[in-house]
Amino acid sequence: MPVRPIYAVLERELLRMVRQRTRLVAAMVRPLIWLLVIGGGFAAIVGGDYRSFLVPGVLGMTMLFGAMLAALGTVYDKESGVMRMMLVAPMARAWLVVAKLISAAAAAAVQAVLLLVLLALLGYAGSGTAWGLLAAAIAATSFACAGIGMLTASFSRTLENFAGIMNFVIFPVFFLSGSLYPVRELPPVLYWTATLNPYTYGVDLLKHALLVGRSTADFSVAVDLAVLVAATLASAAVASWRFSRESAYEPMIHVPAGRAR
Amino acid sequence: MNAPQAAGVSLNAAVSAAGLVKRYGEVAAVEGLDLDIAPGEFFGLLGPNGSGKTTTMHMLATLIRPSDGRATVAGYDVAKAPVQVRASIGLVFQESALDRTLTVAQNLRFAGLLHDLPPRAIEERSRELLELFDLAERRDQPVGTLSGGMRRALDIVRGVLHEPRCLLLDEPTIGLDLPNRRRIWRFIERLRARTGMTVLLTTHYLEEADGCDRVVFIRRGRLVESGAPRELVARLGRHILEVEGADLDGLVAALEPKLGSALREGDAAHFRCAEDDLALLSRLQAEMGGKASVWRVRRPNLNDVFLWVAAGKRVA
Repeated sequence: MPVRPIYAVLERELLRMVRQRTRLVAAMVRPLIWLLVIGGGFAAIVGGDYRSFLVPGVLGMTMLFGAMLAALGTVYDKESGVMRMMLVAPMARAWLVVAKLISAAAAAAVQAVLLLVLLALLGYAGSGTAWGLLAAAIAATSFACAGIGMLTASFSRTLENFAGIMNFVIFPVFFLSGSLYPVRELPPVLYWTATLNPYTYGVDLLKHALLVGRSTADFSVAVDLAVLVAATLASAAVASWRFSRESAYEPMIHVPAGRAR
Repeated sequence: MNAPQAAGVSLNAAVSAAGLVKRYGEVAAVEGLDLDIAPGEFFGLLGPNGSGKTTTMHMLATLIRPSDGRATVAGYDVAKAPVQVRASIGLVFQESALDRTLTVAQNLRFAGLLHDLPPRAIEERSRELLELFDLAERRDQPVGTLSGGMRRALDIVRGVLHEPRCLLLDEPTIGLDLPNRRRIWRFIERLRARTGMTVLLTTHYLEEADGCDRVVFIRRGRLVESGAPRELVARLGRHILEVEGADLDGLVAALEPKLGSALREGDAAHFRCAEDDLALLSRLQAEMGGKASVWRVRRPNLNDVFLWVAAGKRVA
């Protein structure tokens, strides 16, 4: 395993995350708006402790957005030429996907931990938390989200369709999970769609970890972990295959005019 | 030659290619190219736009796979051992391969780690190379704030940080002004003097290829001429006659039987003349000079070789 090259990609990702303050602030503000504003509003309708229910969902949201943005940075790398630096590195192409996957997962996990600190300060996390399980949940969910991100990046040629990615990948993945409502309460079609969404199991695992004793989880811890690991491996495999094609590196490499692909 | 031979490629060569082909659908970008570059050689790959230079570079750098034929770099087959090939070469692309948001030092650290260099070695070599390339004071500046010439220089530093045996430079001075082009060449000279590395370059600026030990001209993916620059120029002829005139077609028709086929260059026609043609040239000028608005006899240079090759004419 090319440890140093993978570390190089990871270091650059974290450097970029710290550098892009607005991205980091947005990653903290977005879930807090959901929790405090939207959560507050819905609590008035549905009653009960809706905000507590929402905590795992917003923590998952941070990881989903964080990992997706970092993984989609691969598309930006292609456009900016940074990918050229990575392409000439003496390692098999598949390791680039692994390096990017690890980096995106790390960026997501760091953001999740930061948000967790904020949530604890606001009194929404801390008591009734299974810390070991929470660490595992954050790791597994970050990787699964990074996998979804790498898969998306491997199918998008330019960043122009970023709005499309937002609408057709991030939002459906978020809304068709148990983030905002218990999966088992969903109508059949939505229920089955949600069970096919690996992110659902990440949020479910977070519910197990954050709401010990009052858990509203839909699946068992074992099922959650198995699905997340399987989804990560499968998406990494497909992304590696996609990125090992020559045409994946246009416009990095030269193709005679009019002969794209 | 005692070099070990395997299906046409010489394993002792720094770069060797035999029957190299790259096809995109019906179109062949490179069509049966043979190359043999000795270690330490300064080698130029020249040819018009779209002749297959960059495609060749990218095949040698293992970025694209050859459709047919074989190539080895530092003894490693580009198709079978791409990772070892990449470890042995430095590649400087036509476009920048740097992160503009990171500083000079951060970029080199990133590139060095990608090449599995220990951080301390990256530090030491960066310091040395930045000194060599007059970039030492820019260490902590973001790459986005550097001038085009400095970025190019940094791109080359990035390409040689891991001390490759062979450096591939694809149009290293493209888009730079003359002083910056000269600077880049000075850097490359210093680098060659210090490391003795093999340098393979493509360029449009023919005067830059004058310093090469050997150049090849390729056209439509095939090698058409090769030799030392001076030798190629000598082969083209002793003199070039440039004529212009109102009735250029008439002039060309009258001169071609005496001087061989002409090369049309815009409003001018060029003829190649062997050494002993000087007497003939003055006779022709006396006969036809009146019809020409310009009648110029001059020494040929590599640009002339390029023009003749680009026009699809044999030079030898």
